[in-house]
Amino acid sequence: MGVETAQRPNTEVRPSDTPLVSMRNIQKHFGSLHALRGASVEVHPGEVVALVGDNGAGKSTLVKVMAGVHAMDSGEYLFEGKPVHVSKPTDATELGIQTVYQDLSLCHNLDAVQNLFLGRELTGPRWGGRRIRRAESEVRAREVLTRMRLGGMSLTRPVGAMSGGQRQNIAIARSILWTPKVVILDEPTAALSHSAAESVSKLIRTLADQGLGIVVVSHDIHHFVVNSTDRIEVMRLGANVASFKSSEVTGEQVVNAMVGGNVGVNLAG
Amino acid sequence: MAHVAPDAPAVRRRSFSELLTSEFRALPIVLGLVVLWIFFAAQSDVFLTPRNLSNLLVQSTVVGIMALGLMFVLLVAEIDLSVAAINGLTSVFMAKIIVEYGFSPWIAIPIAVLLGAGIGSLSARWVTYVGVPSFVVTLGLGLALNGLQLILLPETARYSLSGTGLERIALTSISGPWAWLVLAIGIGAFAALVLSNVASRRKAGLEIPFLQGVVLPIGAAAAFGILVVAILTAHQGIPLVVLIFAILLGIGGYVLQETQFGLFLYAVGNNAEAARRNGVNVAGLKMAAFAIAGGVAALAGIIAASRTLGVGVFSGGGVGGGTLLLESIAAAVIGGVSLFGGRGAIYAALLGALVIGTVSNGLNLMGVENEIRLIVTGFLLVLAVSIDRLIEKATGQQSF
Ligand SMILES: Nc1ncnc2c1ncn2[C@@H]1O[C@H](COP(=O)(O)OP(=O)(O)O)[C@@H](O)[C@H]1O
Ligand SMILES: [Mg+2]
Repeated sequence: MGVETAQRPNTEVRPSDTPLVSMRNIQKHFGSLHALRGASVEVHPGEVVALVGDNGAGKSTLVKVMAGVHAMDSGEYLFEGKPVHVSKPTDATELGIQTVYQDLSLCHNLDAVQNLFLGRELTGPRWGGRRIRRAESEVRAREVLTRMRLGGMSLTRPVGAMSGGQRQNIAIARSILWTPKVVILDEPTAALSHSAAESVSKLIRTLADQGLGIVVVSHDIHHFVVNSTDRIEVMRLGANVASFKSSEVTGEQVVNAMVGGNVGVNLAG
Repeated sequence: MAHVAPDAPAVRRRSFSELLTSEFRALPIVLGLVVLWIFFAAQSDVFLTPRNLSNLLVQSTVVGIMALGLMFVLLVAEIDLSVAAINGLTSVFMAKIIVEYGFSPWIAIPIAVLLGAGIGSLSARWVTYVGVPSFVVTLGLGLALNGLQLILLPETARYSLSGTGLERIALTSISGPWAWLVLAIGIGAFAALVLSNVASRRKAGLEIPFLQGVVLPIGAAAAFGILVVAILTAHQGIPLVVLIFAILLGIGGYVLQETQFGLFLYAVGNNAEAARRNGVNVAGLKMAAFAIAGGVAALAGIIAASRTLGVGVFSGGGVGGGTLLLESIAAAVIGGVSLFGGRGAIYAALLGALVIGTVSNGLNLMGVENEIRLIVTGFLLVLAVSIDRLIEKATGQQSF
């Protein structure tokens, strides 16, 4: 089998550039549950990295540590080669790391514009009670959506009244609104129809071509992961067990690495 | 929908069912109010007289103001069951420092409001840091405040406020041309807000829905205002307490509709975790919401004290909050505020309080006993929420 054991993620892909984000040997406990046991991941500009693994392998936890949702117990977190301290979501967003969460983290009672700008509203002066500059926000929102070829989307309907694919697109649009360097996507295609998933993977490639580093958690091994990413990190029980170049591997090989031959092991921990 | 900018997608004509769950959500409540008014007008010749309608408005203000403050807490998916007790305790405290320590009402009133806000923010701290659900914290706190209220009262169990100057709040009316001036200022402020939004949309090159976005809101506000002021001036003018309620509605509407703080309230109420991940300080926001509810409840308590010319055991609805607490919650809910958070507009406080005030006033005119009033109010509460649900079911649209 073409399974390499866990080692430094390959520097062969783009030897010239420093990784945008490099996380090494991350440990994370939830109470007595040891969710991450020395997990690592790194992403370069223009690269799409897939994180795969069985349920409970620790993929979401790893990306949440990267996004500042969970603080790590120990490990190394470098941004553009420099050690950084990321302990809350705004730490990550200030570095230029945006996240599209598995649950999308949208407010269903708000419209697309309000969701896109949530927490970073364009506002007027303090004496006006930080009045929201709605017109400018709408223009910026329309620009981003048009760049994503979503120009026709309603800006005034509550997001809760939209389809799953539209919500996914709004969540992605929110992540790129502030021209980030890294975008993390947790299971972006899981809840989507086949055609909606196709358009999301196209969008992900477009973003990488613009020089962003993309980290994607996905279960869609046979389509999305082997066809639309550059590199695959396989996780099991909180650690990396294999690493592949997507162009040199088949879906079967990836799945084998995920289950590690130990089918029947209780992966739920 | 007058005009569509060239690069914007065609404005979709929205179905009536969609409108019912968004812009026109107030329609069923307004229709309900109209039905109630027609019914009571048919039952009693007095009901539609300016004098009675003025009374009805005045009678609705305390519950309306309470509901308005409570809305901020309900929007973030919490509840404050101590608002009536805050209302009672702060008004007794205010009366005590006026009567026993000779404070001027000008000092005592702000102190009472700050005390209410302080109590509210304390329960928010307890809720967010200790993690006890707000209905438990505020239920307990409410009882404790009831106890304090009784301790603060003198042997006679009552402080009279006549002659302290405080009674003037309830006795003052703005009449004649002044009433119309006040109305003009109100409409002018609202129009300025609408037009400033139009101006910034034009500057940004966005479409301007002229009829829907400019003519209808300003026209409706003006028509409603003129009607109300005409009725009020036909009696004694705009009662100060009604003006206070109107100003609070205006400020509340601006905050909820236009500001970042207001948006955060809706966001946190719908998905607190999403708001937190986007940098919203959820604990701080909830504290502000409870502080507003507490401060506004204190203000309602002051108005109630002024109307009854005194405070006592009965202040704040009596022990347990009595009907004041239940009617305040009911008013917000009848007006369309969701107990699950993230839903409801400022008009809810006005419409809900008017429904409750109308039932009370109308049944009173018919000579019906208090028991019946409670039964009818309770029934209307369930009916209002049911109609909302039925519209959602029938149209397949969830309203937000
Ligand atoms: N917030 C949390 N609190 C407690 N345990 C958690 C939490 N998040 C994840 N876990 C646990 O950590 C392990 C890894 O979960 P997760 O990272 O979600 O896995 P994956 O995304 O790979 O399916 C699982 O056993 C899960 O139950
Ligand atoms: Mg996961």
